[in-house]
Amino acid sequence: MDIIILGFGVIGRGLAKVLYNKSDYLSKNYGKFNVVGIADSSGGIYNKDGIDLLKAIEVKEKTGKITNYKDAKKMDILDLIKEDGDVVVEVTPSNLETGEPANTHIIESFKNDKHVVTANKGPLCLCFNELITTAKKYNKIFRFEASVGGAMPIINLAKETLAGNEIYSIIGILNGTTNYILTKMEEEKIDFETALKEAQELGIAETNPSQDIDGLDTAAKIVILANAIMGLNKTIKDVKIKGIRRITPEAILLANKRGYTIKLIGNVNRKKLIVEPTLIPKYSPLNVKGTLNVAMFETDLAKEVVVVGRGAGPIETSSAILSDLISIYKEIKK
Amino acid sequence: MRIVLDIEVRDKPGELLKILTPIANLGANIISIIHSREERVGNRIPVRFVIDVEEDKFKTLINELEKVAIIKLIDGQKKKRYVDIVVIGHVVDTDIRDTIDRINTIGLVEDLDLLMPHPDLESSATMKILIDNYKIEELFYLLDELEKEKGLFFIKTLL
Ligand SMILES: NC(=O)c1ccc[n+]([C@@H]2O[C@H](COP(=O)([O-])OP(=O)(O)OC[C@H]3O[C@@H](n4cnc5c(N)ncnc54)[C@H](OP(=O)(O)O)[C@@H]3O)[C@@H](O)[C@H]2O)c1
Repeated sequence: MDIIILGFGVIGRGLAKVLYNKSDYLSKNYGKFNVVGIADSSGGIYNKDGIDLLKAIEVKEKTGKITNYKDAKKMDILDLIKEDGDVVVEVTPSNLETGEPANTHIIESFKNDKHVVTANKGPLCLCFNELITTAKKYNKIFRFEASVGGAMPIINLAKETLAGNEIYSIIGILNGTTNYILTKMEEEKIDFETALKEAQELGIAETNPSQDIDGLDTAAKIVILANAIMGLNKTIKDVKIKGIRRITPEAILLANKRGYTIKLIGNVNRKKLIVEPTLIPKYSPLNVKGTLNVAMFETDLAKEVVVVGRGAGPIETSSAILSDLISIYKEIKK
Repeated sequence: MRIVLDIEVRDKPGELLKILTPIANLGANIISIIHSREERVGNRIPVRFVIDVEEDKFKTLINELEKVAIIKLIDGQKKKRYVDIVVIGHVVDTDIRDTIDRINTIGLVEDLDLLMPHPDLESSATMKILIDNYKIEELFYLLDELEKEKGLFFIKTLL
């Protein structure tokens, strides 16, 4: 199976490492997973015989530009999408306002006869229907497990393993950064600013942490869940959002005294989509700590199902991307 | 909407009629009445009503019925529950008396725990509110209003 990776940052390179490390395992159990194209903001490279992944990572990390890689044709990213290949992996940054450039990349990929796997929330939370319809129209597979909850199985779990269940609601912690900050505030009785700074020093929070701490990232994820799992037709504008900036250590202390902890919770059901700090009983399965993510499904047959896992990180997120790639592989080799 | 009400009625002639009157006046439809004489509590008898009532008349119906009887359960749920909330902000300076009074029009603030780390800093408090289950949305709506009006920040319980 020939793969084109769009975006060669943390996740793009993480995936390249995983594909390299797992190449024997993949060949033995499935077949060859060959990366034939890679792009970053400097442009794209293509080699139909396959790109040397270790060399590509090295070139990117040393020079900052994938286009400095030798043995490959250089081209525009939209031309790269037109080259031969089976699957495009879209891992450019998530733009929650326009969805671009990912939206164009994904649509163009379908039009050019490619299946798509993405970790990108932007297009999914802004134009979900358009993407699904286009994929159908061109008879292509579209998978996006890594866009919500990183490594934690959630979309495929609901759609495949829990198939047949009606899902009434999904409640969870879908952002590791805020969970880390709130856990630190609770355990070390420090204020929000101090906990944020620490998270930034550790690379858990970004230099511009707004998307995480103001709840936008969680909002985008519950929109994806609402559309992909519950069959709703929502965009991020339908979400009522409150972030965690105003939480004080005293508030957490008082909540603890009453048997609660405070978590940034995303909550989606047929009536509403809400992201807000919420009091969670300490004994609740939703009370997971550090950067962990958690989601609780409420369903008609299975009743409550809870999953916990790592919501971010290059290798962890690549696990979800790889599982999507494998399921596409199985589908097209049928 | 169809609701199931578990009500305790005094065991006296005419008591049942007092309950039927507001139901009839609101144009609600009684589907069934189960009288459990053998489960009497003191001089009260539990009665289960299944009623069809228009959604916008539901609250009035409950209010009217409460004047003449004790409602134990609505749709099998305890009528009242406790809701814990946390509030952050200039809780005292934004007229805490008024905040509590307004919450008390919907539920009852039974307990308040307040921490003021420094006069310039925002304080934090927890409140325990006893409230009718069916009024929780109304309470949350009021909290949203107080948030906007007084610059407070409320954290609610997951229901
Ligand atoms: N990081 C995580 O743990 C995680 C977890 C789940 C999902 N995700 C999602 O995965 C995606 C990638 O995240 P990341 O952490 O890898 O981001 P990142 O490190 O910022 O990498 C983004 C990559 O996209 C490239 N890019 C930017 N604009 C482009 C354009 N117009 N055309 C082509 N390439 C472009 C960048 O190029 P340059 O290198 O030249 O700047 C970079 O290589 C995002 O959508 C993110 O939301 C991330």
